[in-house]
Amino acid sequence: MKVCISSTGITLDSNVDPRFGRCAYFIIYDTSTDTFEYYKNESRDAMGGAGIKAAQKALENKVDTVISGSIGPNAFKVFQSSQIKIYTGVSGSIRSAIAQLKNNELTQAAVPNVQSHYGMVR
Amino acid sequence: MIISVASGKGGTGKTTVAVALAKAINYCQFIDYDVEAPNADLFLKPDIKHVKKITIRQPYFFTSSGKSFKTCSDFCHYNAVAAIGNDVIFFSELCHGCGGCMLVGPEGLIREKEVVIGEIRKGFCCPGINFLMGDLKPGSMRTTTIQSELEKNIDYDNYVIIDCPPGNSCSMVMAVKCSDFCILVTEPTPFGLNDLVISIDVLNKLKIPFGVIVNRFGIGNDEVINYCQSRNIKILAKIPNDLNIAKYYSQGLSLVDFDPTWQKKFTNIISDIDKEILQK
Repeated sequence: MKVCISSTGITLDSNVDPRFGRCAYFIIYDTSTDTFEYYKNESRDAMGGAGIKAAQKALENKVDTVISGSIGPNAFKVFQSSQIKIYTGVSGSIRSAIAQLKNNELTQAAVPNVQSHYGMVR
Repeated sequence: MIISVASGKGGTGKTTVAVALAKAINYCQFIDYDVEAPNADLFLKPDIKHVKKITIRQPYFFTSSGKSFKTCSDFCHYNAVAAIGNDVIFFSELCHGCGGCMLVGPEGLIREKEVVIGEIRKGFCCPGINFLMGDLKPGSMRTTTIQSELEKNIDYDNYVIIDCPPGNSCSMVMAVKCSDFCILVTEPTPFGLNDLVISIDVLNKLKIPFGVIVNRFGIGNDEVINYCQSRNIKILAKIPNDLNIAKYYSQGLSLVDFDPTWQKKFTNIISDIDKEILQK
């Protein structure tokens, strides 16, 4: 599994960022090798459609699973179009989120858990 | 002479004042620039003669070609285009209709189509008010596009009263920028003062002369009055906090219907503004 996690920092001890489109970093974690990469979220300060751009970038990285605190309707639509597994409402460290995912302790989200522009209130 | 009626805080009485002014002048053009929530028609009861649909052009992507539209996605400043593999997810409500994706995308695979974002309506109110309003379709963000269409219809040869949208952002700037004078309506409360100060800042930057009307006078505190007096800002009128005015309002009647002496007061305000503008 290749997992995209919205993160506040660049290590596994960083926290899951509560916002998807406007998070600080993305961590791409490969569960088959237990290795990860990270990149800065360039759409963080977008005027609009931050989630759309961030979701597209995640898909370009060939992820099949996404974990975040909250995902709005637009990013959700982009992920759904590619049958990506979406987990929202996740908090705590990246390390614990991965552990929960591996132990099947996370529940897949069927609908977006926040409205558009949720992440713009900092 | 174009007079705009604006207010930072919503619900202070912009439409009350704008409608009363129009009725006092009688022969003028009235424009409801609050296209997101127009309501002056409830008071002026215009006979609408002409409706014009306002459209913007938005792209349509032919995705079966097997080509990527990533250049479009990279170009789009508003992130309205998500290019996933050779597919596209288009977010119509984010698209500003700039046409940029057509220039940078694969040739011949993007066409434009017209999308309705709202309409403008023209009509007449007895006895001599030329009425104009814009109405943005719910869900559309293209407020200023509708307002630009209103702007094209301003009757520069006559008195024009512009009923502005609330706030101090783009849509308010669009509404006040053509005016010779702006009347700022406020209420004597801390909230009223806070937003009045922001409005004044905007008008000073735009170099538009202005005066203040204090509505619901009697509530709150003296801070608005003190602020204006200490800065030599002209207070054009004080409308008392009278429950009967609200009762008339709820029946779709104007301040001048409630108390005909307001007719004279507003006529005087207009002639004062006239003098001030002509002196410049």
